[in-house]
Amino acid sequence: MLNDHFLSLVVFSLLVALFFAVLNHRDSRGFWKSVGKTMAWMVAGSLLFAYFMLWTAR
Amino acid sequence: MPSALPRWKAYAYSLPTLLLPGLSHWLLGRRGRAVAFFCIVGATFSVGLLLHGALFPFHAPNWLYRLGAVAEMGLGAPYALGRIVGLGRLDMRDAADLMFGYGNTFLVSAGLMNMLLMMDAFDIAVGRKE
Repeated sequence: MLNDHFLSLVVFSLLVALFFAVLNHRDSRGFWKSVGKTMAWMVAGSLLFAYFMLWTAR
Repeated sequence: MPSALPRWKAYAYSLPTLLLPGLSHWLLGRRGRAVAFFCIVGATFSVGLLLHGALFPFHAPNWLYRLGAVAEMGLGAPYALGRIVGLGRLDMRDAADLMFGYGNTFLVSAGLMNMLLMMDAFDIAVGRKE
């Protein structure tokens, strides 16, 4: 189960995004906006960093 | 629930989260959020264990694992119970496991989330936050 790196990253990002959205937002619109933004930053940032590491390792 | 409690009571209200994630919020009357926090922190903790993450002992062999132990201790009772029943036992052979690092990330994050919940409950109790 969950032996996929990308799936683990998505699940982790989702849980963290949900946590901070529940912590900081009361309205439904702000909540979902926060979840989307946090998830997007975490997933995209991690992928960018991974490509950077791959690029510097060559 | 009164909007602002004395500091000693606020400290007392922030501690039950160490027994069960979200319990402080439940006692402060934020029941919906309490259930959400319980599910989120519980899921993070469970996935961490499923991915063979370790509940680090404080006398772990290196300082990075010891730092991890401090973060995981933020979970309180789930960390202590896990250590007692032998869940997430640190085995250096697991360090070669592909998902070991991911499992640890989940477990450390669950501990840090729980610490934030304590601070959030304190802020609610002193009236700094709604």
